[in-house]
Amino acid sequence: MSADSRKRTLARIRGATRGQDAESIATELGKLGVAPIARAPHRNLLVSFMVNVLRNHGSLAIAADRLEAVKAVRQYLYDKFRSQRLVAGNEPHLAAMPWREGGVLPRFGELTPGEKAALSYADWGIAETGAITLATGKHNPPANHLLAEHHLVLLDVDRLLPDLESFWRQTILTRGKRPRGINFIAGPSSTSDIEARLVYGAHGPQALHIILLGKVSAEAMETARQLAQPPGESG
Amino acid sequence: MSATDTGIDGFINAAETALEDIAATRQRDMLARTTPLLRQQAVDEFGEFDALRRHVKRLRQHTLDNLDYYLPRFELEAIHNGNQVHYADTGDEMNAIVLDICRQHGARRVAKGKSMVTEETELAAALQGERLEVVETDLGEYIVQLAGEKPAHIVGPARHKTVGQIRELFLAAHPLGERRLEHPEALVAEARQVMREHFLKADVGIIGANALIAENGYSMLVTNEGNGDLCASLPKVLIVCTTVERLLPRGEDAAALQRLLARSATGQRQTCYTSFYSGPRRELDGAGPVETHIVLLDNRRSELLASDYREMLQCIRCGACLNHCPVFAAAGGHAYGSVYPGPMGSVLAPLLESLEAHPELPDACTACGRCEEVCPASIPLPDMLRDLRHDKSVRQIGSRGWRRGLRLHAWLAVRPALYQRASNLSIRVLHWLGRRRGSLRKLPFAAGWTGKRDFPAPQRGTFMQQYRAVERERER
Repeated sequence: MSADSRKRTLARIRGATRGQDAESIATELGKLGVAPIARAPHRNLLVSFMVNVLRNHGSLAIAADRLEAVKAVRQYLYDKFRSQRLVAGNEPHLAAMPWREGGVLPRFGELTPGEKAALSYADWGIAETGAITLATGKHNPPANHLLAEHHLVLLDVDRLLPDLESFWRQTILTRGKRPRGINFIAGPSSTSDIEARLVYGAHGPQALHIILLGKVSAEAMETARQLAQPPGESG
Repeated sequence: MSATDTGIDGFINAAETALEDIAATRQRDMLARTTPLLRQQAVDEFGEFDALRRHVKRLRQHTLDNLDYYLPRFELEAIHNGNQVHYADTGDEMNAIVLDICRQHGARRVAKGKSMVTEETELAAALQGERLEVVETDLGEYIVQLAGEKPAHIVGPARHKTVGQIRELFLAAHPLGERRLEHPEALVAEARQVMREHFLKADVGIIGANALIAENGYSMLVTNEGNGDLCASLPKVLIVCTTVERLLPRGEDAAALQRLLARSATGQRQTCYTSFYSGPRRELDGAGPVETHIVLLDNRRSELLASDYREMLQCIRCGACLNHCPVFAAAGGHAYGSVYPGPMGSVLAPLLESLEAHPELPDACTACGRCEEVCPASIPLPDMLRDLRHDKSVRQIGSRGWRRGLRLHAWLAVRPALYQRASNLSIRVLHWLGRRRGSLRKLPFAAGWTGKRDFPAPQRGTFMQQYRAVERERER
């Protein structure tokens, strides 16, 4: 059934296409050039990324080192849940964090029902969209970023890319090296299916909190906060 | 009444019924005002949006021109990624393939993400007919599923429903005791709670694809809710239902599409989730489906590729043409009688089914051209609708009186002298008839027009007479 349909469909397609060889196709594709990207809100990559995270209704924290990062996690958990508990994937960077000194009690593994907060370590941050990228795998159980109510993400500021194309160009996806899933996450889960009104926390997380690990000045953060405000609003 | 007449009356009657529902009309008016503004804001902020449109158009053109290369390439990579790839000639065949996979796994529960392709094939009904429990997990799709309706919009399936109507549906469907559910937030929270169970219990997940990447075999999924990702990640079996033309050459091309799609569809800079799935879980993965299938539906798309309507295959299903169409705003999505409504649906439905099945849709257009202006793929939708009307006339579809009238008009239109004399005469007659009231209550052959309003009696000469008068004035 499917094999016959395949034969018929491909025959019809061959009849309607140019029958070029792979080399000519690659040359033609190369000549198409590159797509324009969105106008950046700021000339600095990090500021642009932060502006877009805030515009996407994500929240941000800054941590100069790993201990600061754990403290930022603790602060977030305390503010939201008065708790020290969270779930983290079996990710080497996360495993190496000074959890005990920072006062957080992580459980490593996959989120189970009843657990509300999960922490991921992002592969990349994309300045153009404010998205962080995760590749599914042992280090990154999908339940952690899809089922938690609060999704916390640790992102090294050295892992910022200007645009979406940069991600594809530098990610090696040859056969056998392709993760099952690549997720670009830009903000908490949302829906506007009811009377076109935007509501957060549709199926996935209600909140996305990104902790930037590295050198981020308070001024850069302030600039980002100001730029992220919709026109007409101040303060 | 012939089948054709029923078709014409079908759209007109459904549109009239839609206009009688005051609350729904208000809702559609509100959306017709706000959704274009959201898109415009996003387009203005982007910068070189037209250059982006042109780039993606060229890219898609190139892909379609070389689909004989890109489709088998995708298939090869997808198989290497561990997928089973199926081809379906027709919607029924796609449904049969999916049903077969469900049966092989003894599946009872299916969690389904939003997919217009599965709406086209009526997959959910086909599976439910075989006693499978199918839950639509996109909130909008879930609401229309509870209401027993079809989606009214390809991006916002339940946008025609009010909070009150959705509240009633939820109270009837979810045995959760007494509760208020007066705000969208409360409704979303309840849907989240109810749906979580479905995700965890589902044996099979079904999703669509916004694009298929030929170079690496990934399928692209763009959502805001994250429901599609849950369908793709929690059940043990994943089936991606998509179509043969949805190809893009490279990952970076998906980036360009992503930019264009979100802004055109909802005015967002990007959606919350843009995901790429390659196949089943890898050896060391602790989670994810153990078996994945990709079903590629043709359903006449390869015929379209060889036709004058080939450009329609560039449609990225953003819904911008719906949001900007005055006929869609007035009539609503259901009036079209097709899962694809609005301008893109008026072209696509007759092409994927037949003109005989949808004879009225090519006429559901005021030729205002807004759809083409905002279409991210710059598809000449008004031209295509005109061509479909021509096809209709050639194939003698539609009422005989209407066709005779059009033939008479065409005959007159190519005889300018006669046309001007005839219009001059009719203007004089109409002016004389309406001399007292300044308007006419009834007109011969135009009862449909005067049934709802009076026709203003012409006060001056024909356009050509007035034009000549202006010219003479200028020469003096």
